[in-house]
Amino acid sequence: MSDPIVRVRNLSSWYGKGRERKQVLRDVSVELAPGEVLGIVGESGSGKTTLAKCVLGMVTDITGELTVNSRRPQMVFQDPYGSLNPAKTVGWILEEPLRAAGVKDKNQRRKKVAELLPLVGLEEEHLNRKPAQLSGGQRQRVAIAAALIQGSRLIVLDEPVSALDVTLQAQILRLLAELKERLGLSYLFISHDLAVVYQLCDRVAVMTGGEIVEMGDVDEIYDHPKHPYTKKLLDASLALD
Amino acid sequence: MRKKNWYLTIGIVLTACMLIFIAVGFFWTPYAPSAMSAGDRNGRPSLRHLFGCDSFGRDVFSRTLEGAGSTLTIALAVLAVGAVCGLVIGALCGYYGGAADALIMRLCDAVAAFPSVLLAMVVLAVTGPGKYNVIGALGVLFIPSFARLVRGEFLKYRDRDFVQSARLMGVSDLRIIFVHILPNIWPVLLSGLTIGFNNAVLAEASMSYLGIGVSAQEPSLGYMLKDAQGYFFTLPWCTAFPAAVVILLILGVGLLGEGIRERMGVAS
Repeated sequence: MSDPIVRVRNLSSWYGKGRERKQVLRDVSVELAPGEVLGIVGESGSGKTTLAKCVLGMVTDITGELTVNSRRPQMVFQDPYGSLNPAKTVGWILEEPLRAAGVKDKNQRRKKVAELLPLVGLEEEHLNRKPAQLSGGQRQRVAIAAALIQGSRLIVLDEPVSALDVTLQAQILRLLAELKERLGLSYLFISHDLAVVYQLCDRVAVMTGGEIVEMGDVDEIYDHPKHPYTKKLLDASLALD
Repeated sequence: MRKKNWYLTIGIVLTACMLIFIAVGFFWTPYAPSAMSAGDRNGRPSLRHLFGCDSFGRDVFSRTLEGAGSTLTIALAVLAVGAVCGLVIGALCGYYGGAADALIMRLCDAVAAFPSVLLAMVVLAVTGPGKYNVIGALGVLFIPSFARLVRGEFLKYRDRDFVQSARLMGVSDLRIIFVHILPNIWPVLLSGLTIGFNNAVLAEASMSYLGIGVSAQEPSLGYMLKDAQGYFFTLPWCTAFPAAVVILLILGVGLLGEGIRERMGVAS
């Protein structure tokens, strides 16, 4: 078996300083294999976003072991209205990661953007628009394209569809699954929506209070939950359906 | 349907008129501003002397044109010093935060606690009057208000998702500050600039009026008002016209700023 793309061992993390310092993660251990989609579920405040931020290197107050075998892992944010710079055009937003990566030639950048557009279901005409002129679904497509364009293999998806309505959710999830197959990506998929996790993920980690209480294949967890918290989560989501 | 933005329309028209008026003064005045003509002393406004003549027989229209030019130059220079320094300080403080931010902001508080004209008077009492001293003193005193404004905006933006996302992509901090965030705060900055401009015009006029501003060789509008106050009742045109120019200029730019704010409110 190949090396995992993410290996997390006994990771603990804190927010704040001094007396305000609060532990957010307790001894979390997780592995993500290449091409795998790991769902992280839990209520808000359970530490799932913090775990993702640790993997992305955005949290520095940590102890434990953390190895990430991907150049510049990227994140797709929940709110497609906040994750795109409102003052810039889509073309600029998509070229910026390439500029940051040192691609100086304008034509080369344009070419790369043009190649990626059809993959995420966008068209050339969108390039000259500002994010405000796009729909929520289109914006999320732009955000996904921006996350992919540097060639990152690991993408953290932080509730990427929960701000969208149900039909769009399905479209974006299908797009994410397609992209994963075509480009050989690995996803860390954070969500509180168990139905969405079930559609996309191979394995699930259930988090509460900064700990992973249960982890395993999606089918197994959904059919035979062992931990009471997992059962509670499943019951709550079934009650809504 | 969107309501017509009258502030913006009137502001633009008025500001444009005043700027054209002042721009003309840079290249052409009907008489030399300091030329005296004995026969026209104390002359009322007429076709020959649109704004009348003062007690030396100098043409008030020409002097107003020149004075407005010098007022505008000083105000713009003050604004440039205050806005550029304030922008850089505010941006860095807002983006990075931390102890340096706290220190600099307390310093700004301390400076802002004094009325700026009063503080400028103290500075000019030490350095002596003159155009460049006025610009320097007022410019420095204008920094805190801009720094505060810009800092607040950067605080608002620094943790936005698109900024975090730029960091993840490896964009440098300076580029994030000036290329990613700055364009988003332009509307706020622009309306701050109009307020700052008005304050600068008023501050320069009041300082010249108090006799600590520009020198007699380059009269500004405030200086003219000081000169003419002794003849307020006998030669009212000597005060009325320079004062009207100050008022219209400030009104125009003030409306412009209000219009920008209103438009921004609609957009967001």
